[in-house]
Amino acid sequence: MHVRRLVLTVAALALAACQQSKPGRLGIITALTGTQQAFGQAHDRGYEMALEEINASGGVLGRPLEILKYDDQSKADIAAQGVAKLVDQDKVSALIGSYSSESTKAIVPLVARKGIPLLMPTATADNVLENTQGWSFRLCSGATDYANAMVRFWKEAGTPKSVAIVYENTNFGQANGAAMKKAATEANIPIATEESYTAKSPSYTAMLQKVKEKSPDAIYFASYLLDATSLMHQSRQVDLNPRYFTAAGTGFSTPEFPTEEKGAGKDADHTFSVTQWMPESKWPGSAQFAEKFKAKYGTTPAYHAVQAYVALKVMAEAVRKAGKWDPVAIRDALKATDMPETTFGPVKFDARGQNLHPVLVTQIQKGKYVIVNPKSEATGDPVLPTPKWSER
Amino acid sequence: MQFLQAFLNGLLVGGVYALIASGMALIFGVMRLVNFAHGAFLMLGTYLSFYGWTLLGLNPYLAFPLWGAVLFGVAVGTYRLLVRRVMGASDFLQILLTEGISLAIIGAAQLAFGADYRQINLPIANRITSLGPLHFSVGYILSFAVSLALVIALQQFLSRTEMGRAIRAVAQNRTVAPLMGIRVERVSAITFGLGIACAGVAGALLLPIFWTNPTVGGPYTLKSFVIVVLGGMGSVQGAALGGLLLGVAEQFTAYTWADRYAEVVNFVIFLAVLLFRPQGLFGGKG
Repeated sequence: MHVRRLVLTVAALALAACQQSKPGRLGIITALTGTQQAFGQAHDRGYEMALEEINASGGVLGRPLEILKYDDQSKADIAAQGVAKLVDQDKVSALIGSYSSESTKAIVPLVARKGIPLLMPTATADNVLENTQGWSFRLCSGATDYANAMVRFWKEAGTPKSVAIVYENTNFGQANGAAMKKAATEANIPIATEESYTAKSPSYTAMLQKVKEKSPDAIYFASYLLDATSLMHQSRQVDLNPRYFTAAGTGFSTPEFPTEEKGAGKDADHTFSVTQWMPESKWPGSAQFAEKFKAKYGTTPAYHAVQAYVALKVMAEAVRKAGKWDPVAIRDALKATDMPETTFGPVKFDARGQNLHPVLVTQIQKGKYVIVNPKSEATGDPVLPTPKWSER
Repeated sequence: MQFLQAFLNGLLVGGVYALIASGMALIFGVMRLVNFAHGAFLMLGTYLSFYGWTLLGLNPYLAFPLWGAVLFGVAVGTYRLLVRRVMGASDFLQILLTEGISLAIIGAAQLAFGADYRQINLPIANRITSLGPLHFSVGYILSFAVSLALVIALQQFLSRTEMGRAIRAVAQNRTVAPLMGIRVERVSAITFGLGIACAGVAGALLLPIFWTNPTVGGPYTLKSFVIVVLGGMGSVQGAALGGLLLGVAEQFTAYTWADRYAEVVNFVIFLAVLLFRPQGLFGGKG
């Protein structure tokens, strides 16, 4: 009796192990609806383009790659539910996602518990690399890299006398705010003020008034797109005139931001932002990716799209290297990733799971992003100081 | 001077809040219905305003009565089809129904309009006007002025017209009103229509100074609850004052403390009123 039960249990366990993942399936979590939808859409397009290319060249391990998308609605708790859905129900072998740092932070411990590898394409908050237990890998650079890149640019263009840090109050903004505080302090730039805000508020004028009273020489924003748009319109309203408007990428580094239809339009002009990729980047295929993307979707891609595109390619390559649809094997293959020539530059993860990726600084000049730093990559000179609103 | 600026900006935002909350207070006061779909109808107003401007070239500041009328019709239909069935039922059923309506509207909007956010670029709304050292966005001033005018018009309607008296009679006593020859069903349908039209017009007026997507309404449903409690459950006048007060409180919090605490302060006010003055700041009886 006991033996029989044991045999049955083992058989059941073996069966469960077989069903643990279905071959050919990858799970993707991103923000397809909600306030971060603009970024989720960029992700979605990047994933679609990579998927087409992968399947056009024969798929992975002899079969077409299948991706299952899950919408986190721009909310961390929904992202966490997505892990359960994709892993337990859809039996995916690996995950890519999510968009925001807040959502990504929520899924990192879950994938570790479930033993599923996760590739993080865009989360810049550095705390997403905590508690990974070796299961999570980050493709993009982080908040610290952003702040250091901006300070490097300032040192070359004229160190500001003070900086005001203004950030949206979730993981992304908090991390980037804290990173700038540290970087500025190390560079002996006084912090004029630190302000955090909720990204859904219709009016930031009171906060911007407060910033104006401290007359900072530079402002460093960590904002998503809709708030970035309001912040610039309302900076004009309160007549806030620092020498530099700068930002931690994201909202300030999207193709929509300088447009009148979907962004701040003319009010976006002269803002500086860090970015992780530009169509002019020297990495192989950058210009071609941008052209193909524009032909397909009608807009120039920003780094969010290329991160998704390359993330899926990196993951597909890891599965090929692993030789089987097994989460542990895929994780080990990700660890050993060495792809020197992707559209997003060389991809190789360090012991923490971080891909070392350089950061660029851009400025919007007459509605176009121009790379102004580092000098070796620059496509133009920075326009300084930022003209006063009354003189624009 | 900066305090004055923050105060006035708060009033400008508060005017729109007042309109949204007046609609919710009206529905609550007359129908005893907690309307969780308020924000979803507001969202429909933003999309009407958006397509009116982009497809037909209708300026939201002129076309808002039209959008109000459309939403009035939609709301009366919703009342006859669905809401009518839970009148007098338990709060729980009413909340389930209105929350369900909200989800259905948001889902339908995502299918029909896409999840993509939208904004319009109305030249007049982006202009800045200055009064000495004070600077104002013309868009905010216009949205405020129209909202406030509508709130006052709503109050006049309630106190001066035959229909308004009937609505107030139903609010006072649902059982006795029909004995006085008032058709409660009809009054309820019109009340629901008016309340939703307020939310819809507020949405139409928010669009030029904000943005929209299918989930934009959620925070406004919550804000309206706070305001309705603040003003005294079901008092339209109270809700109007409560809306202005909340707008000012938010901007003051952002100015003196931090923007991220604005929401916290909202809910602290909410709890404090419930605890110490449950009849509302402007409510008469306890």
